[in-house]
Amino acid sequence: MAKSDIPWENVGPEFKVNHGKVGMLLDLNRCVGCHSCSVSCKTEHEVPLGVFRMRVRYLERPEAKTLAFAPMLCMHCEDAPCLKACPSKAITRLEDGRVIVEESKCDLEEECISACPYGAIFINEDKAVAEKCDFCHHRTEVGLEPACVATCPSGALEFGDLDNPDGPLVKSIERTSAKPWKEDAGTKPTVFYAGHEKWMEAMANTGVQLDPEDADITYEQNNLKK
Amino acid sequence: MTKDKFSRRDLIKLGSGIVAGGFLPATSAVNAAADGGAKVDIAKLIRGKIDYTKAKATPTICFGCTTHCGVIGWVQDGRVRKMEGNPLDPNSKGNICAKAQGVISATYYPERLLYPLKRVGIRGGGKWKRISWDEALTEIADKMRPLRENNVPEEFVFHYGRDKTKGYTKHFTNAFGTPHRLNRRSICSSNRRAPLMSFYGREFEWETQDFENTKYIINFGGNPMEAYQGGLFMMHRIRKAQAENNAKMVTFEVRPSATASVSEEYHPVMPGTDGAIAMAMIHVILGEGLEDKAFWERWSNYPLEDLRKHVKTNTPEWAEAITSVPAADIKRIAIEFAKAAPYCTTMSNRGSAKHYNGVQADRAIRMLDVLVGNVGKPGGFCLSSLRGWANRYGQDGLPKLSMPGPKPSDPKPWGIGEGFNEEAFRKLPEFVQERVNAFPDKWRNSYYGELATPSEYPLAWHWYQMRVGQLVYPYIKEGRQKVSVYMSFTLGAAYGYPEANAAREVLLDEELIPYHIAIDIGYGEQTALADIILPEATALERWDHHSTNNYGLIPYTGVRQPLVKPAGETKSVQVILRDLARKIGGGMEQYFIQMEDMEAFYKEWYKNLPVDWGTFKKRGIWQDETRAKDYELYEKQLTGAELEGSEVGEDGIISKDGKAIGLMQGDKAVIGFETPSRKIQVYDEIWPIAAKAVGLPMDDVNASPIAIYDTVPEHRDLPEDRYIFSTFKWNVHTQGRSGHWKYNAEIIHTNPVFMHPETGKTLGVSEGDTVKVSVYRPTGATYRSGEPGVMNSFENHVRFLKGMHPRVVMCSHHVGHWEHGAVGRSENQISGPVEGLPKENDLPVDRDIPKKIWWAKKNGGIGGGVHINDALPINPCPLTGGQNWYDNVCSIEKVS
Repeated sequence: MAKSDIPWENVGPEFKVNHGKVGMLLDLNRCVGCHSCSVSCKTEHEVPLGVFRMRVRYLERPEAKTLAFAPMLCMHCEDAPCLKACPSKAITRLEDGRVIVEESKCDLEEECISACPYGAIFINEDKAVAEKCDFCHHRTEVGLEPACVATCPSGALEFGDLDNPDGPLVKSIERTSAKPWKEDAGTKPTVFYAGHEKWMEAMANTGVQLDPEDADITYEQNNLKK
Repeated sequence: MTKDKFSRRDLIKLGSGIVAGGFLPATSAVNAAADGGAKVDIAKLIRGKIDYTKAKATPTICFGCTTHCGVIGWVQDGRVRKMEGNPLDPNSKGNICAKAQGVISATYYPERLLYPLKRVGIRGGGKWKRISWDEALTEIADKMRPLRENNVPEEFVFHYGRDKTKGYTKHFTNAFGTPHRLNRRSICSSNRRAPLMSFYGREFEWETQDFENTKYIINFGGNPMEAYQGGLFMMHRIRKAQAENNAKMVTFEVRPSATASVSEEYHPVMPGTDGAIAMAMIHVILGEGLEDKAFWERWSNYPLEDLRKHVKTNTPEWAEAITSVPAADIKRIAIEFAKAAPYCTTMSNRGSAKHYNGVQADRAIRMLDVLVGNVGKPGGFCLSSLRGWANRYGQDGLPKLSMPGPKPSDPKPWGIGEGFNEEAFRKLPEFVQERVNAFPDKWRNSYYGELATPSEYPLAWHWYQMRVGQLVYPYIKEGRQKVSVYMSFTLGAAYGYPEANAAREVLLDEELIPYHIAIDIGYGEQTALADIILPEATALERWDHHSTNNYGLIPYTGVRQPLVKPAGETKSVQVILRDLARKIGGGMEQYFIQMEDMEAFYKEWYKNLPVDWGTFKKRGIWQDETRAKDYELYEKQLTGAELEGSEVGEDGIISKDGKAIGLMQGDKAVIGFETPSRKIQVYDEIWPIAAKAVGLPMDDVNASPIAIYDTVPEHRDLPEDRYIFSTFKWNVHTQGRSGHWKYNAEIIHTNPVFMHPETGKTLGVSEGDTVKVSVYRPTGATYRSGEPGVMNSFENHVRFLKGMHPRVVMCSHHVGHWEHGAVGRSENQISGPVEGLPKENDLPVDRDIPKKIWWAKKNGGIGGGVHINDALPINPCPLTGGQNWYDNVCSIEKVS
């Protein structure tokens, strides 16, 4: 099918880009903390208030006068603790490597939530399932990028194929010497961070609001401290 | 989310209401999982999500803020589900921000106004009844018609907060005959626009730096990474230039904003001193011989040697003492900037401009660009076609676009003599009449009374009518203008204006405002004080013409088009005003005859585009990509036809029919700039002329014809225990208009008092403590200047940030709503005028509102922040009237 010069007309299963292994790069040197990815994600998936598939953290730099910004999402680990922890086998890995929750199989055991070192999973009370980022499966199936990537105005997010050594994603990861968040957790994330610094991982008490009195002082993405 | 609370079975009972998606048959596309071996049914996996093969995509223009990015709205099952960027928009290039999705929230929140409402009981009492459009418009027309019949149309005052109808509301006020189409430009940007127009002429009230090609940016208090008109257009270009072009950005700010945080250098600066930095940089560049002498001499209207004398004492050391920025840094940055020329540019916004001396600060900053000769050059400080397409400066060859139909003429200016509205003029206070009578002809010919053209602030309306919005209510109270019918349109003065309590007091006074009509999408603090509310369609439901200056430097136009039908009985403002004009009648209706079908009306508006209407609607944007970029527009040579019948004056200015059209540069006739000298007016007599006309002392900083620095009056000898109280905007919000956008409010709903940890130590407060911030009135030549004692105060808790300037405390001003629905109020129950709420309604159900508003106090949260705008004094800058938002002096005491 001939591609239209109107980008949004090139949508459908025939436009799907096949990746051997999907992955993402978050370039913290480009991120401006605008929350566009996070709000786009919530709108796309109609995520209830109070829980996040993706969110942006504001981190006050210990040695400088400025802030750093870190979007957090499911790391789609190659050695995913959530997948192993689920008693109902509701969490699985697709052929392209992404880790997904099969909502129809979820029995709300919540083992996945405590197994995840990134706080990426939460219970969606409206839908009665455990939920997390799926790299916007319904979008990538029809040739669209994940909602967060498509909306990012600062060029901080890149989605692509980790299996293609000459592909743009692998090249960008190499160029920026990107590393996983909390590499020490040993879960082999397929999400990489450029400009990531070790102190950021230790900063648990930093919510998006920078407000010490707010309940929104969160650990990672979802509030596990409740 | 507690573990014992729900079982799966319980939750299933709640029902998910999810409709199966459908782009894949349920049985197809089974993937084998790599580990675990489970078969996954893709169709099941994505049920309930947007089905992009079925959803309809329509390009339109976002109205989440005043930047206006091209967007795509995806509509499924009659509901807008998602906004994406329009990659065909050459300004945003497919990028959007968190506010773009907020427009969906604004369209579908449960308390949205869907029917006309009439108040029951006392004004502001919160009781309403639903009435029909016919009843509403009949009642309003019956109030307005006599004003025209009795020849006092000026007693109808139209006051808007955000109007992007590109002339439609003016069409209405002109047809009615009132000059009172008031805005809030002084609240926003007049102190930044006035210096630009003084330098470059009317057409260039907004610069368009060539960030794509720049190497060096000095940013004085601009925050394009969060909130700036055009900020998103700038953001993606700046970030790309930094990453791929090795561009450097230096930011002077008072807090660690997102922009400061992503700049290569951030220097905290004492508020109101940006001008001193710029003056010192001029000093350094001249001292180092790094100026572009040829450009300065060709295009500025001031001798370089005089400038050298002018800045002689403005050394970096002098600036350090004032600004708290180290002299060595000022010097180094000035040199780096000049050496990068012409691939360098300044930028500035409210941080530099919204001060008593802000006009002069911006004029000093603008002078830096002229000095290094980057104006209009690739990578430099560029100027691009801004206003609608009407064969104006820099618009040669662009198709002409104009609002269709017969146009009503402007009202007569007020004054004495032939062609003036003498009747209205004679009702003004005598001192005003005297002042206006002594004005130069240009001003007398464009004077329309104290609300539209306040005589004390002639530079608010010298170039065009920017007005002084924050004085509207005090002036009405003082009796400078009788108001019989007041109409507010998307205005939030009762919440967001400085001394918003003063606005509320006037709005509640039925003698001062006998009849108040509010046109708005939602029930806010302003609409709550109306007598009748007309519910407006949102930006996703209506048409608008769009054009703005392109940071890609090639003009383009776009169209805002409806994605869905207006909800309930809402109507676009165009339809509302059309129908009202017809009801009022008396000849007014003749100007609204072409508007039966709004699509046909807008189609006619764009009829000169070299593209058919269907294609234009399908793409949402039109641009001639082959057109040359807007570099060095001023060097354009005048054609033989243009020169025919012209004459050259002694000063080289080329005039035709009594109007300057260009300038002789050597033997070439070029267009120059649209200023009286056709040059860049770094020196402009208009400032002292205006000062003299209103009796401002000639040693006031605002009276200088060339940029100077002088300390903000109330900051002189600032006692140790006094601080500057400043405000800012967050990236997810758009002034006070977004309080009810649930996903945006979830991120930002409080506004702690930010301060430096050392400041906290001095004050004896810890993070989380509550403090009382008491604000004092300003002391310069301004409204209620020097009144002793605390003007107003508020209490809020403290958050430390090392990047704060130690003499500054700061809150954002978006939150603390007492209207705007459950989300806006941060409460756990639906609110608003009950009769107006959707019932059987056509709005989708929102499961989050109100029970999941986790920050609501009754849901165990912190609540919705503190409204601070009553504690910000009305403080118009002399001459321009721009609100000096960031000069406030305060004291701070610990409460708990």
